[in-house]
Amino acid sequence: MKIRGVFIEDTFAEAFTMRVARIVITARSTRWVRAAASKLTGFATSVIGCKVEAGVERELPASETPDGRPGTSVLLMTMGKDDLAKRLIERIGQTVLTCPTTACYDGLPDAPDRVGVGSALRFFGDGFQMSKVMAGVRYWRIPVMEGEFLVQEKFGMLKGVGGGNFLILARTADAALEAAEAASDAMAAQPGTILPFPGGVVRSGSKVGSRRIKSMIASTNDAYCPTLRAVTKSALPEGVNSVLEIVVNGVDAPSIATSMRAGVDAACRAGVIAISAGNYGGKLGPHHFHLREIMTGVPS
Amino acid sequence: MTDGTVARLRDPLLQRADFADVFLGPWPSLALRELAERPVYLESDGPVPFGEMFELKGEPNGRIRFIGDLAMADRLGAGMTEGEVVVESNLGNEAGLALAGGTIVIEGDVGPRAGAAPLGFKRGMTGGELIVRGSTGPGAGAAMRRGLLVVGKRAGDQTGIGMIAGTVVVFGAAGTDSGLWSKRGTVVALGRITPPPTYVYACTYQPVHLRLLLTRLAARYGLPVRPRHLKGFYRRYSGDMAELGKGEIMTWAAK
Repeated sequence: MKIRGVFIEDTFAEAFTMRVARIVITARSTRWVRAAASKLTGFATSVIGCKVEAGVERELPASETPDGRPGTSVLLMTMGKDDLAKRLIERIGQTVLTCPTTACYDGLPDAPDRVGVGSALRFFGDGFQMSKVMAGVRYWRIPVMEGEFLVQEKFGMLKGVGGGNFLILARTADAALEAAEAASDAMAAQPGTILPFPGGVVRSGSKVGSRRIKSMIASTNDAYCPTLRAVTKSALPEGVNSVLEIVVNGVDAPSIATSMRAGVDAACRAGVIAISAGNYGGKLGPHHFHLREIMTGVPS
Repeated sequence: MTDGTVARLRDPLLQRADFADVFLGPWPSLALRELAERPVYLESDGPVPFGEMFELKGEPNGRIRFIGDLAMADRLGAGMTEGEVVVESNLGNEAGLALAGGTIVIEGDVGPRAGAAPLGFKRGMTGGELIVRGSTGPGAGAAMRRGLLVVGKRAGDQTGIGMIAGTVVVFGAAGTDSGLWSKRGTVVALGRITPPPTYVYACTYQPVHLRLLLTRLAARYGLPVRPRHLKGFYRRYSGDMAELGKGEIMTWAAK
């Protein structure tokens, strides 16, 4: 199968079930919304090293936020329920509570699983905090030097999917980067998904474990490193000199499939030789995103 | 969802009537016939079935709309725990007395002690939302523990007196001694108010929770929230210092 001359390999991306929370941040201006969201989602590329994966889902106009101010929607994902509660408390407490003019709301109001966030952060108020219940939802008003920080007591939690991916195999590093940028731009607009890596792109795709150090969980994906073509069992077709990976997480599998379709389509451009995907033989992750099936809508 | 039940007053109400028993307990699950059998106590004539005073039509789905002048109807929605009651006219005394849940919307004015504690009791509203688009008499929201009371026009004297917690929003002027002896309650005054002398000015700021609350009141009930209410500043007074002092009166200020 080829799209605009780019070969689509007959393979699949293997993804995992994760826990996801959607956090809505509002502030007086977009400047402070972005400042809070940028810190909240910082150092959150992979659970392997960061304990959490996070990214901005989309910016919200004032008409779509609970308090009528500019906002943003952030997805935060972990492998387990307990982890998610800890990370939410840590991150919202350190990055949103601290940011001028912000307020923080649950973006999954219908999720039956709830984790306490405001109920923990309220203790920062040292007894001066106040709660307000509006339409059956409890909020905490935590006094801060600037005024007050408003945070919802509980946040919803769903089972999401993490680790959707595809690889861009290109003739040059410039071509790979241009294709990855186009893919990232196309995928950024997809609701229900985030791209947790810098700019949505990963240059250091990994394989499970290590050839030399048993304690390492992951190490470089040598089969896709162009510089190792001569010294390892390379998976690179002839002519490929650079590979970039796009990783996508989402609230459910269909959102990821839609996002991958947009991304792969955008990445199929001059200088790209093939599109592949990362998997572990299908034995580790329950979600398999077959590239050709995604691009045609027909099971391969 | 259907529009629910419509209760149309058959004959003008010429004597005071006590509706305290009509919406007690899980009334939304009652059949229309069962609801019609609930008693209303007339001041002179004694108890009569609700269905004799009102023509009831529609589906009993937890929502009821009253048509007809209910200025003599007292304690409507007292102790209610669920459902939605809409009154298209003025309403009498002690509307939503000790309301515990659900919503009561009154298009006109109400008499004294709306949402208050029954006389001799410590707690008024413990939940729910009581929305009065008109004015309220004295003592509205007295001793309320939780919930929301909104007054669309003028609130009488001693509104929210002895509040334990909960929120009162007044769009018009609020009477004297509003918020007096409050422990943790919030009185939001978008119109004129004179905080009791036992309140202490704290600061002027833009509270986000009021944006949230007022945005919801505009969307849910169509209340006259103006951009200046959302974007403006509020003077915060802490009190009542003669009590716990964890309550507040927030008065709208242009800047």
